[in-house]
Amino acid sequence: MPIDRSLTKELGELARGLLESGQVECVIGYEAAPRGGVRPLFAYSPADAGRLIWSTRCVHNLTTYLHDKKKPRRRGEEPPRVAVVVKPCDSRTINVLLAEGQIERQRITVIGMACPGMEDETGQPLARCTTCSDRLPLVYDLLLGQPPQVTPATDDYADLAQIEALPPAERLAFWLRQFDRCIRCYACRQVCPGCYCTTCMFERDDGLWVDMGIELPQKYLFHLGRAFHLAGRCVACDECERVCPMGLPLRLLNRQLAREVERLYGHRAGQEEALSPLLFELGEEGSPI
Amino acid sequence: MRIATLSHLKSWLDRLAQQADLVAPRDVDGHVLYRPVSSAAEVLFEYERPELSAKDYLFPATEVLLRVEQEGKEVSIEEVLPQRPQVIFGLRPCDAHGLAAIDALFLNQQPQDRYYQQRRERTTLVGMACPKMWDGCFCVSVGGGPTDRSHLDVLLTPVEGGFAVDTVTPKGAGVLAGLEMTSVEGRPPAVEEYARPVPVASPDQWRARFKHDLWMRHGERCLSCRICTYVCPTCRCFDVTDRVVDVQAGRTRIERIRAWDACTSTNYRRAAGGHNSRPTKPDRIRNRFLCKFCYYPQDFGPLGCVGCGRCVVSCPVDIDITEIMREVAER
Repeated sequence: MPIDRSLTKELGELARGLLESGQVECVIGYEAAPRGGVRPLFAYSPADAGRLIWSTRCVHNLTTYLHDKKKPRRRGEEPPRVAVVVKPCDSRTINVLLAEGQIERQRITVIGMACPGMEDETGQPLARCTTCSDRLPLVYDLLLGQPPQVTPATDDYADLAQIEALPPAERLAFWLRQFDRCIRCYACRQVCPGCYCTTCMFERDDGLWVDMGIELPQKYLFHLGRAFHLAGRCVACDECERVCPMGLPLRLLNRQLAREVERLYGHRAGQEEALSPLLFELGEEGSPI
Repeated sequence: MRIATLSHLKSWLDRLAQQADLVAPRDVDGHVLYRPVSSAAEVLFEYERPELSAKDYLFPATEVLLRVEQEGKEVSIEEVLPQRPQVIFGLRPCDAHGLAAIDALFLNQQPQDRYYQQRRERTTLVGMACPKMWDGCFCVSVGGGPTDRSHLDVLLTPVEGGFAVDTVTPKGAGVLAGLEMTSVEGRPPAVEEYARPVPVASPDQWRARFKHDLWMRHGERCLSCRICTYVCPTCRCFDVTDRVVDVQAGRTRIERIRAWDACTSTNYRRAAGGHNSRPTKPDRIRNRFLCKFCYYPQDFGPLGCVGCGRCVVSCPVDIDITEIMREVAER
């Protein structure tokens, strides 16, 4: 795995400074995983800061862990101040969470990384990186690295065109076949920074919308419901697809809705600190759809 | 040893599929999974460790226990018990070992779990030895092995010219009826063992680590998803609920189902009134590992881990059971 030695060093020093000065209690970043690749690290001490790394395998969107830091650890205390390492795509989540009142800006130190584009374990660029030319985070307090010069990427949604070309019955069959593999482990929901409801509507004790069965109807409803709840809020970090143990193409679902929201409202989730128009706006003449 | 050629094995499987529910490794859109098959043409004979264990076929992810019908004051209750014989073909030795671990709770305790027991009794396990150890595997460290026959009815081993057939139990002999075999000299080849064995600490050593910073270190990055428990061949927790299936003309049909549950999920330990005795992620992953290596062996006998390595390779944030086993044993 190609570790960026100089940025790793800079990041370690920066984190050590933040921890030693007491500016933050914890730095959420990445460390080398023993089996290869990278995993999230919560650095609490200067010694921990020495384990932080930066490489092209830092795929995780760490902003999802900010939800764990919203409450004080003990009653009567303040919630902790934390720093979090973000890539340009992850930084869009910060905007979404700020707009939705989920995080307090002054408690979060955002360490933005100039992003060279991320790779999978075989060294191939990630799908989302092939259509992204953002090299600097949209929100940050501290920036590390120089943005590499890249030719602006265009997104022609070729992946969606393939699905849309199918007749509706075949499209449904395609998705049912995918959802059939789902084991309802909720990894997609758990990793998603936009999925922070304390009680998920698909996991209610009373089974109001869907019961606990791990069968096709429940899985179908769960995935479509989740996609709709993320419409206009999903920043396309693709973490749901990455963590899925059964390889469900969840990116396709999310992109479909992201494209529709952009087409109808000119809204792209996280480009600025703004709520999804689907959350509140019906307009004078009702829905624009 | 006795050898069956691939074509003989296929014709035997085709016949078997007519007589019993046949489950075997299949390619499902690029994923190797144990799935029901209707003929040998669908079966994989060379495959890695399937991505999910076979526990679903003995302890289904969702199982209807009772069907209840109510009309006016009349209530009828029907217990739903599996009746069909089932053969699981191509089962990896670790998955059979996993069933043996589940047996310790569902069969060897009183009362037995009737649903599991009915399925188990009607199921024959035809195993396929692993030609090597796969990514993340450590079966040899927890009492298993790539060619372990102990929990199977039949063990097949790929050899030149076909598959060596080892009949382990009378049940296995029964299911093999009609399979054409030839006797040859020699033995199936041994499998190279795992390079770096994983130490297994005693239940007391695990208990002594109850208060230790390792749970925070590994637990904080946990996502509280259910991957590790659902891919695990030994995790057997479930929840039960009643669901209304249909209400028509004064007649209500209800099903009582049970479905898999996971101790890693946030609400697993929530009690009436909302109290949750394992409110944090470190609390929950500690329970998962202590269950496997301390509570389960102490209460029911076997370890709750067969070293299949599935949780190791599928955890999205690299919580690695072998790393934790080493930390507990070596510190």
